[in-house]
Amino acid sequence: MAASSTEDRIREDLQKRLRGARDLAFDSFVQTAGGWSHETYVFDAHWTEDGRMVRRGYCLRKDPGAGLLRELSSLEEQFRVLKALESTPVPAPKAYWYEPDASILGGPFLLMEKIEGDVPNPWSKAGKQAYAEAAARGTLPRSFVETLATLHNLDWRAAGLDFLGVPGPGRDFARREIAKWERLARESSVEPQPVLAEILAWLKANAPEAQRLAFVHGAYRTGNLILHEDRVAAILDWELEVIGDPMYDVAYVLSDLNREGTPLLSYVVDREFFVAEYERLTGLEIDFEICRYYDVLYMMRTAVFWISASGLFTEGRSKDLRLARTTYALPGVLDMAAKAIGF
Amino acid sequence: MLEEVIASLRGVIAPAISAPYPKTQAYMAAVILETLSRAIEERSDLAEARKRSIDRLFVDLGELGIGLPQGEDEASLARLVEVLYTDRERLGEERFAAANRRVRQTLRDLLDADLKIASSKE
Repeated sequence: MAASSTEDRIREDLQKRLRGARDLAFDSFVQTAGGWSHETYVFDAHWTEDGRMVRRGYCLRKDPGAGLLRELSSLEEQFRVLKALESTPVPAPKAYWYEPDASILGGPFLLMEKIEGDVPNPWSKAGKQAYAEAAARGTLPRSFVETLATLHNLDWRAAGLDFLGVPGPGRDFARREIAKWERLARESSVEPQPVLAEILAWLKANAPEAQRLAFVHGAYRTGNLILHEDRVAAILDWELEVIGDPMYDVAYVLSDLNREGTPLLSYVVDREFFVAEYERLTGLEIDFEICRYYDVLYMMRTAVFWISASGLFTEGRSKDLRLARTTYALPGVLDMAAKAIGF
Repeated sequence: MLEEVIASLRGVIAPAISAPYPKTQAYMAAVILETLSRAIEERSDLAEARKRSIDRLFVDLGELGIGLPQGEDEASLARLVEVLYTDRERLGEERFAAANRRVRQTLRDLLDADLKIASSKE
């Protein structure tokens, strides 16, 4: 579907939903390069309503039918999560509606608020520089930790997030996560990976017990956060959130996966500051041994991402060359995991 | 020829595109071609070395008295890994550790071969 056609269809759909809106027009319309699971469109709209001009920014995420996470990602679930978060202190975009009817845009879609701010790409030179400068100013590191603590301190039952599924006691959370990613790997028609088989077997044999359950984002890092005036204005990418061990998010922050070439965690936070502030704000003690375990789980997860991605390309379900390129990223992350577990 | 195509994609075509999505696609095409060119150079040696490495592993594990799955390809090796962990209790910690160590040696060989091609010049 051409971009212009998508723009026209979105405008037509919006016009139907905005009863009383006249002369609806878009000031800008961009398909972003970011995001691997969904097509993302950001646009500014204006219209006349009751004799006055209304302006609003929107972000639309559409299921392309061949998303990286396949069945693991559900826009309907994201919509429910965003709706549940609206009455909480967790900064997230307001969700306007979820449309399951694929006939409108070619796939289900979710329309949400466009949040003012930037998401510097942490893998680009300019992005790294932006985070380094923000880190030096000092406000963003604190906001980064505070936002994660807000997430983990959330009363998720009261917020109605238990629909996500609540793990049983002990090792259930880790085992559920492993099973989820193993299923995704099996769904991908890629040749069996013996190295991945060893990593999965090791993870199952060494699953830790969760000391507490929290609402966990599952990919909390720069690049998934909208920043405005050096503060986290919103957490994005609500695709992997679970009720689980808060150390799962902490491990991702501590991970080398998210800070290539910089000593700053997630490119913005000094490690000692993060640990001290997180513990102070949540009352939790970081268990570094468990975090090391989850770090391996993240490496496995990344490997499965790449397997799923390259599978989508070779299956002919996606033409996105970023997915094809991941075939060659796989050995690197398997190597990291192999070294972490001793070979 | 591939090198020229890569240089053109990276140095001329991609920078000239302003829209973010197609620009990323042009850069990705360059990266893929670059890795493919290394794979073409290494391919025949690599396939034989992988087969030899797995063959040797299965012989060694047979000598350790480990029950082996059918076949001696990478799918069989993946199954073997799972079987070893499933049978860990029955094998006993010492035999499991010896077999696992030997399997990991082969996995490391396979991984190093993959890394030789996949290592990025980006």
